[in-house]
Amino acid sequence: MLVMGEVHTALLQNSGEIQEPVCRQVLGLMAGETVRVSRRPIAHALSPDLLTGVDCRLPSASQARVRAVGTVVSRCAITGGRVAQGSSYVRVERAAVDRRLSWSHYLSRPGVAEVLGKAKAGDLAAGFLDGAPPDCLDLGAISGRFLDLAQSSPLLDRRAPFRIPRTRLRWVTEVGEPSIRFTLHSDQVRTVRIAHPEPFTPALAALCEDLALHDWLLTTLLVLVERAGIGSAPGAQAAAKLAPAVDHLLHLWMPGAHVGESLAPYWESLDRRPGFTRQWRTLEDRVRDQVALNTLTLLSITAQTGRRCQ
Amino acid sequence: MTSVNAAFGELAAERRIASAPLSHVSIELGHLYMEDFEAGPERLREQFGRVAPWAAAVRSGWQRRIPGGRARVSTCFLIDDYFSRFSTPAELVPMVLEAAAEHDLSIDYLARESSCAEADGVELARLVEGRLVDDPPPGTTGSRPPVKETGWLCNGSRSPRPGSVQAMGPAQRWAPPVQNAKRGHSIFVDVELWDENGGRRTWSCPFLAAVWQLLRLGMLRTEGELPLRPVPAGASWPARWDDLPPIVQLNDQAAPFSAYTTLSVLSPRFLPVELAVRTVLSQVAVDAEVLEQVRRRSDGEGVALEDEIVDRVTYVFG
Repeated sequence: MLVMGEVHTALLQNSGEIQEPVCRQVLGLMAGETVRVSRRPIAHALSPDLLTGVDCRLPSASQARVRAVGTVVSRCAITGGRVAQGSSYVRVERAAVDRRLSWSHYLSRPGVAEVLGKAKAGDLAAGFLDGAPPDCLDLGAISGRFLDLAQSSPLLDRRAPFRIPRTRLRWVTEVGEPSIRFTLHSDQVRTVRIAHPEPFTPALAALCEDLALHDWLLTTLLVLVERAGIGSAPGAQAAAKLAPAVDHLLHLWMPGAHVGESLAPYWESLDRRPGFTRQWRTLEDRVRDQVALNTLTLLSITAQTGRRCQ
Repeated sequence: MTSVNAAFGELAAERRIASAPLSHVSIELGHLYMEDFEAGPERLREQFGRVAPWAAAVRSGWQRRIPGGRARVSTCFLIDDYFSRFSTPAELVPMVLEAAAEHDLSIDYLARESSCAEADGVELARLVEGRLVDDPPPGTTGSRPPVKETGWLCNGSRSPRPGSVQAMGPAQRWAPPVQNAKRGHSIFVDVELWDENGGRRTWSCPFLAAVWQLLRLGMLRTEGELPLRPVPAGASWPARWDDLPPIVQLNDQAAPFSAYTTLSVLSPRFLPVELAVRTVLSQVAVDAEVLEQVRRRSDGEGVALEDEIVDRVTYVFG
């Protein structure tokens, strides 16, 4: 019917970026399972997939009582040794019979929740994207716990270079003519609705994780630039406040790095409108210009001081 | 210049899952505990005498099912060296093989129960514990972590704790436990997985038996590799159990150790243990890639398998 997911993204609770061996330990959430690591074009580590059992109502825009039973797939990711994500998704499908079966049935279809009774995909999608009421499936809580799991690792020093809230991106994919809609809701909540002509594959979840990562980068850089008070604060002060952006963020922008070739057009269309990369480049230039201006000022002060001393 | 298709791969970014060689059925001819050993060779002969006709029936059933009668059937025998240590391989193994031969049974593989806990540096029991996904009671939205009793696993909701007081409310009254997938009435099962004494964990018999079943079904992997492979028997039997490989292959012509399905011929006194084993197996999430591998293999040779792992495990109690 449809697939729904939620990704939480945050700055890793560590003073500097962590290296690959530490990443492997932080994300080694299951004995005997390998952490997948890719190094090109940017370091990206992915924990094994873990399952959580659920038996509850699904959010529905029409308030219909729709019960689903099954398992949610979750994982954690660390990009550039710096940004942590907790991600969960579930494929919602109609059950063959309208009663709950033994648990082994649901475990034979990992990552699927079966709907007992009638439900409309559009109604469930709209209900989920609007934000679920308390007695419904809570993918946000599951993703939040997985992110906490990585963040609370004893291997991290918990001295992050700046404080920034987590962002939450809820997504839904359905089969249909290719389309993507990205909506900013509040400071922290975003939704993505994707129609894809082929049946769901985990690559679509990876696309949403990549969107969430870049949306977080952009949101965070905007906040840091705003906090720097360019133009109102003295140049040196603004440049000092922008230093964490240079140290920790500017090199991480790599849209679509881990997204399959066939899904690249989704990223490209978002990059045309609203133009994430355009906004990122503008901000990046602003940060670099401020740092350069401040350097020039420092150089001219040094030069003047030098002349007076002669 | 025309466009060029570039391909780039990183091995560390891919999941590689080894596939297990598979028979059609793995028949467990027996499971030897200290009490059986103490009862003498007569007890073993009786056991093999009971098992032989069932093993033959299952073998011929599969031969009829497989085109050309080329069914792959392997037999195994498990010796408990975990809960109690008795005798030595040098003394015991020949006795077991002799008693089996008297009933025309050939044991293809001999395994030690302690290997289900840990073998060759791999903690199989921990691997399985990490794959447990608790059966969620209705109303489980994922908003809180699953309610767990450390070291226990059940198939429903437990009774509230007697005397527990809800905030600002009266003490809760007793309520019955409820099975999640009940049909009319509950059969609630709560299984102890392990206990700890002085920091040392002892796995329970049903939990190790669940690991044993998963091993026979070829469902376990560690870092993508098979955790144990049978080792051909040496020229003589060692004097210490620890010197015996976890799984010994006695017959070099034997069909593969692991199989699509398993059959265990057991005394009815093991019924409660096996109910517990099935409760555990129903909550083990086998790797999706491994499930898919086995499905492709069985489809390829026209063998229809049950979707649920627990339904591939069969028994004869008698």
